[in-house]
Amino acid sequence: MTSISAPPTRVANPWVRACVLFAILIAGAFAFPGGMTDWLDERNASGWLSAPLAVARAVDDVSSALRVKQVGQGLRKAFGDWVGAQ
Amino acid sequence: MLFPTIEFALFFSLSYVLVWALNSRNGLKKVVLLLLSLAFYASWNWRFLLLLFASAAISYLVGLYVDPAFARPWRRTALLIGVALDLGILAYFKYLDFFIAQLMTLGHAVGVELPLGFINVTLPVAISFLTFHAISYIVDVYRGRLSASRSPVDILLYISFFPHLVAGPIVRAHEFLPQLASPRRAADFSFGENVLLILGGLFKKMVIANYLAVGLVDPVFTDPSQFSRVDLIVAIYAYAIQIYADFSAYTDIAIGVAALLGYKFPQNFNQPYRALGIGDFWRRWHITLSNWLRDYLYIPLGGNRHGSLMTARNLLLTMLLGGLWHGANWTFLIWGAMHGVALIIDRAWRGGALYARIGETALVKALYWFITFHFVCFAWLFFRSSSLDGVSAYVSGLISDNGAAIITPSYAPVLIALGALTQILPHDARARFGARLDARAPAVQGAFGFTAFYAVLAMAPSAAAPFIYFQF
Repeated sequence: MTSISAPPTRVANPWVRACVLFAILIAGAFAFPGGMTDWLDERNASGWLSAPLAVARAVDDVSSALRVKQVGQGLRKAFGDWVGAQ
Repeated sequence: MLFPTIEFALFFSLSYVLVWALNSRNGLKKVVLLLLSLAFYASWNWRFLLLLFASAAISYLVGLYVDPAFARPWRRTALLIGVALDLGILAYFKYLDFFIAQLMTLGHAVGVELPLGFINVTLPVAISFLTFHAISYIVDVYRGRLSASRSPVDILLYISFFPHLVAGPIVRAHEFLPQLASPRRAADFSFGENVLLILGGLFKKMVIANYLAVGLVDPVFTDPSQFSRVDLIVAIYAYAIQIYADFSAYTDIAIGVAALLGYKFPQNFNQPYRALGIGDFWRRWHITLSNWLRDYLYIPLGGNRHGSLMTARNLLLTMLLGGLWHGANWTFLIWGAMHGVALIIDRAWRGGALYARIGETALVKALYWFITFHFVCFAWLFFRSSSLDGVSAYVSGLISDNGAAIITPSYAPVLIALGALTQILPHDARARFGARLDARAPAVQGAFGFTAFYAVLAMAPSAAAPFIYFQF
């Protein structure tokens, strides 16, 4: 439940909040880049998403080179194996 | 466009920027918010935008006419026409084929072949929710609870506002429309609490609900005759947790998203499986629907004002229609009837001499919780099954065991326990933790948010089940 009488917060500026939110989303896309790349690829039949797709692939490459992607995939697989669901 | 998807993350990011960039120009902001909401709805089927426009037009015109400030004649008749039109749209899309099927079955039973055919129309997404929003507006105006809005944009935005559009919570007109009157203040909402609400919703949906649905509930309910008694029993508990995790996740995300945009939505769940009695359950489960049914159906029927018998009738009728609201199927009607009868019994028990004597003792309360929880779980069997034959096969398997091997995945009890844990967390845990998060620097908030988001992404299964309440 949200509260309209919340005490004054340190981050009351919506633009600072935006930076935090977007940082979380961008970091998530960097940690698991495959989702964004696949998503763009599936919608790029006519080529109008080629530019963002190229950016997504570059992000994917950097994430892979830094082994961030592999860590995410490894954790996902380990959890899937642990619960016996994947 | 589902909440836990890349589409929605991009859509929300764009919405957030536009809403706060235009916050000081409230009129323009509302138009942009409306266009975003229409685009959100059109992402399923743009043709059904006409339905939204029709519903908003009815609400707008009827609202202007029935406003008591103008003391016009035939106000009540105008209200009834407005409600009938809203319900007529709902009935056409959602119930007509069901009633035609019942008439044909009845005719066949008495040897008459009725010249009827099915309309086979696609059920518009969210039609039940948008109908309830529309009715809420004109009835509230008629009752003088709020003045009729002269802004068609406000009415259309109230009905179509994208966070609540598809699966609620059902936000009442008098709660929402005043919020459209002026620019919003981000500081009125706890950032930490609402981020936690969204992250918790993602966890409940993407991990708890999805694993339980894909790994156990869906296969068992698709063909219960293939599963052992143990699987069938565990699947009922699993569904109880799945539907809670799924639906409360949707409304948690909706409430959090709305709050980040500067709009307050009402609470929709309050640890429902802790309920002591069915009356208590409905004060904790889908609270906005319970309140809607109470204010716009139960009380107009007479409520508890005309003696025990009429109260029982009103409770039963309310819950029958509440059941039917979920879908045109006998399973929903029976589910509603079960809850109606249970409410009558609960009311009688609480008003009785025995309750006054022993009702508040720990042992009786524990017993009452146990009975309530298991009644709710058993009733979910009707809610989840696609037909009465499915219910019959399920109950038959519970009795006979079907001779099948146990296949319940080992994670199911863990997830059921996790779901149960959400029912016993302290009420104010999220608010307190959110306030602590608010007091931290943005970098700390981001680090915390990313860690939680990363954990959810790492645990989410590849196959996802759709939100249960999308079909309503």
